[in-house]
Amino acid sequence: MTTITYPLSRIEGHARVVIDIHDDEVFRADFQAMEMRGFGHYVRGIPAEQITVIVPRICGVCSTAHQVASVKALEDLFGVVPPPLAEEIREVLLLGQLIQNQATSLFIFTMPDRVNASSLFELSESEEGKARQFSLAQIALRIRKIGTDLISLAGGQFIHPIKTTIGGVTSGIPRSKADEMIKAIDELLPVAGELVDIYWDLSLKMGDRIGSWGDDEPTYYLASTEADDFRLNSKRLRLMCPEGRECQNFNPHEYESYLQVEDSAYSYAGISSFRGEIMRANSLARINLTNSFGTPKADSFLKRFVETFGRPAHAIMFFDICRGIELVYALEKARQMLEKDLEHGETEVGYTPRDGVGYGLVEAPRGPLLHHYEVENGLIKSADFVIPTVHNMLAIRRALMVVAKRYVSVDGIDSELGRAVGRVVRAFDPCIACATK
Amino acid sequence: MENNKELPKFAVLQLSGCSGCEVSLLNSEEWINNVNLVYMPLVVTTNKIPDGVEVLLVSGGVRTDEDIHNLLKGRSRAKKLIAVGTCALSGGVAQIRDEHPARESFVQSSHRLRMPDMLPHGYPLDKYVTVDLYLPGCPPTPELFMTALKDIEGVKIASIVCQECGRKKLQDMRPTTITGMRSGVTLPDICLVNQGYFCVGTSTRGGCGALCTRPGHACVGCRGPANPYLNKEPSFVLDNLRKVFTRMTDIPEEEINEALESPWLSLFLDQFTDYTQDETLPTRTKDKFI
Repeated sequence: MTTITYPLSRIEGHARVVIDIHDDEVFRADFQAMEMRGFGHYVRGIPAEQITVIVPRICGVCSTAHQVASVKALEDLFGVVPPPLAEEIREVLLLGQLIQNQATSLFIFTMPDRVNASSLFELSESEEGKARQFSLAQIALRIRKIGTDLISLAGGQFIHPIKTTIGGVTSGIPRSKADEMIKAIDELLPVAGELVDIYWDLSLKMGDRIGSWGDDEPTYYLASTEADDFRLNSKRLRLMCPEGRECQNFNPHEYESYLQVEDSAYSYAGISSFRGEIMRANSLARINLTNSFGTPKADSFLKRFVETFGRPAHAIMFFDICRGIELVYALEKARQMLEKDLEHGETEVGYTPRDGVGYGLVEAPRGPLLHHYEVENGLIKSADFVIPTVHNMLAIRRALMVVAKRYVSVDGIDSELGRAVGRVVRAFDPCIACATK
Repeated sequence: MENNKELPKFAVLQLSGCSGCEVSLLNSEEWINNVNLVYMPLVVTTNKIPDGVEVLLVSGGVRTDEDIHNLLKGRSRAKKLIAVGTCALSGGVAQIRDEHPARESFVQSSHRLRMPDMLPHGYPLDKYVTVDLYLPGCPPTPELFMTALKDIEGVKIASIVCQECGRKKLQDMRPTTITGMRSGVTLPDICLVNQGYFCVGTSTRGGCGALCTRPGHACVGCRGPANPYLNKEPSFVLDNLRKVFTRMTDIPEEEINEALESPWLSLFLDQFTDYTQDETLPTRTKDKFI
């Protein structure tokens, strides 16, 4: 038996791929999380109202989603309904996070695979290549910064934001700041569209060379956005069956009868499934489950996607392309929302803490994120974090198996395998800090 | 931005942490244009810190043997080491505090399936290596990163959060209980302590731009104690906070004492002062703090 280990870079956190080969045949291909955060344990016994500051620290990449999910879980628990203006501001916050995350994944994590570089910041050999890469990186970082600026505006700071509090948000978004953002979006939206086009073409070209990323088999898809309303501050979960029909639609508090969450024997991260069946979350799941975005550019990308690749689409390489569509949507939608008055009006309501059970759901960039708390005597008795990356764990494993089989044969191990496992894992954009909460 | 070989070699090592510091650093455009980034697994395909690194940023706390190994290796290959973020200075926000019952539940469940070999405690970097500069914050803002990467001589950092907050402290607005967000009303421009928030900005190192308190969220102390409390035992910070709340509010003493036991304080403020209790750790001087 031969065991090959590939440490992974350009993903969030510490993880590796381990492949066991026996008699020229792939025996096992695992995606292993190599760290342990342990927040599910640490927060037991702490005063419930303090959890909204603590749990964003599970992950600096996904802190926005954790903060909002946490606040929503306590609002559910305390029976408090935030004013509509607060819900709008939270949506702007989550759109900022989607922009930040998709820009990071597209340009910093996965673009280097497409231009054969070790990083976006790497010097390319030719002068032309150098100039092109330099401007590409500059633009990519500026688009990403729109996301972080939006989070700062709607969340107070762009990592571990604080403005979302139980009962609403602490303050609105001043007109002058909103106008500045609109200006920045107007400047960069066309460029972002072009960049997504470039990315789309580069992905397909790479597909011509290496085939799809591996594992095109139909599967279940999980998302909490609606078919005609891509609201990230979401309310219900939806599941698409492999043949492409929406077959389940459920409330956050029913999640345990649909989603099976278990520890895994080969990784420090857990795994979740739809009643034992492999499922996928993240961009491709949302796009498969979306009829329309309600913004022109994103809808035209969506139309092109569906016409070209069908619905549901299953190839792993589509995850990355779908991130591009979502980036365009989030920029357009944020612009639309910033046109409204987000400065005046009620931003928060009071509340009285009580004991009980609460559920908080948001659509994080990696899929539905659910916080589930039980509070007793004002203290957290138990806290469950249902993590988007964990929804994808079985799918990642199956995809790695497909790709490992492709590059391992009686002739030996193709040197492409190392790059191939990186591409597969990055398509799912896993977050290890969250997955080992 | 360009990986120019003439620019100083720069590396970013993440131990047990959340990647928040790295994500913050990515927003410091000025930095990214001026270094030769040789190691930063979040954004570069690399597995090894090369020799001859000019500046090594280390985030995260020391929680595992692997962390110790990577930290020692990194230190031996770098001229200057900057500890960034609360975890690198305190051992890690994840541990809340060791005597907390949650710790026990964690240790107990660590028998279930596989768990990484974890050290009995999360440790700050200077337990193992010499740290040339400390940059606290959860995470430090891009601006603070930029400051830390320049020559810091003569750089002035706001001593406490209040200096940058701009909210006015009132004599005659004295809350009788800690209401926090429960009231559903946060007045702009008025000190959060006056409004019944348990805000610890009065004892917390500034320089963050008061990002939390200005929009109306209490400071939770993520930048750690202000200079006067560096190297002081934990009770020193708590006594100071007790004095502030006694002077500015009519909140009963027991309620103040209870608030001082808050996990979110232990998450940040206490963690920094923990190191004063460990005799194996070096004394930290204010000239090494940003």
